[in-house]
Amino acid sequence: MRHLALLVLAAPIATAVAAAPPARPLDLSTRVLAEVRERAADGTTRIALAAPTRVVPGDRVTVMLDYRNTGTAPIADLVLANPLPAGMAYRGPAATGPAPEVSVDGRRYAPLAQLTLALPGGGSRAAAAADVTHVRWRLARPLAPGTGGTLAFTATIR
Amino acid sequence: MFKTLRHLLLGGTAIALSAGAAHAQTPGPAGTAAGTPIVNQAKATYSVNGTPATVDSNRTEFLVDRKVDFTVVAQTATTQVNLGQREAVLTFTVTNHTNSRQDFLLDPDQQNLPLGILPGIPGSDDFDVTNMRAFVDDGDGVYDADDTRTWLDEMEPDETRTVFIVADIPATGTPTLAHVSLHVIAAEGDAKGTQGTALIQTSLGAANRDDQVDIVFADNDSDGLALGDLPRNGQARVYAAYELGNRTPGLSVLKSSRIVSDGVNTVNMRALPGAVVEYCLLVSNANLLTPATNVVLTDKLPGKTTYVPGSIKVGGTCLLGGEAQDDDADDANDGKLFGGSYDTATRTVSATLPSVTGPVPVAAVFRVTID
Repeated sequence: MRHLALLVLAAPIATAVAAAPPARPLDLSTRVLAEVRERAADGTTRIALAAPTRVVPGDRVTVMLDYRNTGTAPIADLVLANPLPAGMAYRGPAATGPAPEVSVDGRRYAPLAQLTLALPGGGSRAAAAADVTHVRWRLARPLAPGTGGTLAFTATIR
Repeated sequence: MFKTLRHLLLGGTAIALSAGAAHAQTPGPAGTAAGTPIVNQAKATYSVNGTPATVDSNRTEFLVDRKVDFTVVAQTATTQVNLGQREAVLTFTVTNHTNSRQDFLLDPDQQNLPLGILPGIPGSDDFDVTNMRAFVDDGDGVYDADDTRTWLDEMEPDETRTVFIVADIPATGTPTLAHVSLHVIAAEGDAKGTQGTALIQTSLGAANRDDQVDIVFADNDSDGLALGDLPRNGQARVYAAYELGNRTPGLSVLKSSRIVSDGVNTVNMRALPGAVVEYCLLVSNANLLTPATNVVLTDKLPGKTTYVPGSIKVGGTCLLGGEAQDDDADDANDGKLFGGSYDTATRTVSATLPSVTGPVPVAAVFRVTID
């Protein structure tokens, strides 16, 4: 009796998901932009973001995640995760937008100040930005159809 | 208790694994190798109407460009040579800070600046060496017949090698300084045994692409003067000098004496029997540039005198005396900088001075009584 109820409930949902166009309602894309110094007419310099055509060790980059709900139903429990690419060291959150939760092992996420790293000889030390291996954002509220946003963090080329 | 322990162990393993992975991808000080692709891909998990789903983002990729940076250091600012010396050697080290394998071209040249404005080098250039060449050390740090390569071939990131400038010194004249410089130019690597061509920085205005490795000069102005080098030009120039000069210390000793007491008078004391006489040996070095080291003074007592035990003082002036010394021959046991002793058999006073520099004369004093 109980099994039957579950089946009955599950069947219409499965149908609804299959019928909803498109099959993947979340559109997620990533961009990496290099920080370049631009000289303004008044002689000052400012930091601008440009395509990463010229990037050498020590340069700063901004990693951006663009997300949008292209479906018809709200998207709940949205978690956007970005493992740090090889050759990139985490530096901090971008100037605008929410700061991500970070992790030094891909398992435990917390603000950086609360993370520690085990030392090879025993004991542990406070984690530094360069130790971060994963960043993620959890959206507290469901993403309504047709809405989206951009999240970003900054990193340094190792 | 068991559960907690297991949890800790699991946590420890996970951290160790990820630390190992992070370590493996950590490059040296020169940074991630040029041409390495950096690929980013994000992932999202979500649910729609209670059904969980995941989606991967696109993969974005770009290549790390080549950051050309290196340093050249002269091992000594000046090197002592003699007139007519052949194959006099100056030693330099070159370190490749570029995030790729590089050749470096070596171009030794003479500097003829009349004023002593070159960083780290005293005096003015007043002669030229001949037959000047540059060679790469074969690994033993000493210039010898095996060192024949004239450019730095295939230097790995963060590698340091030794380079020599070799030249002949003129046989005649009264010269003092020959300024030379080692001019080093970054060149294309990746062809072992072949001298690469000098690098050209990728034009800033060029239509760069994410999938090509640009050449970016990041070297500093090696002389800090914008004189023989400029920042970010893929070159370095470091100065050193051959020096000819008098390197012999000019030592002289002046002996003096004064009567300290004669047992009768308090002024105008006389050399009466029983009077105490203080002798002073004052050592001077006429060559201001070259200290004399381990100077040993000996003085045999005149006849009809007796040494006053414990009266040796070394290291000050004739009047003040300096450090008091004991009379035994072992100078290591008294913790003093200077040494002093008296040998009763030979009636000889000895004093040892570790160094006598040009500007400051040093005294050794001792006392005798007239028999």
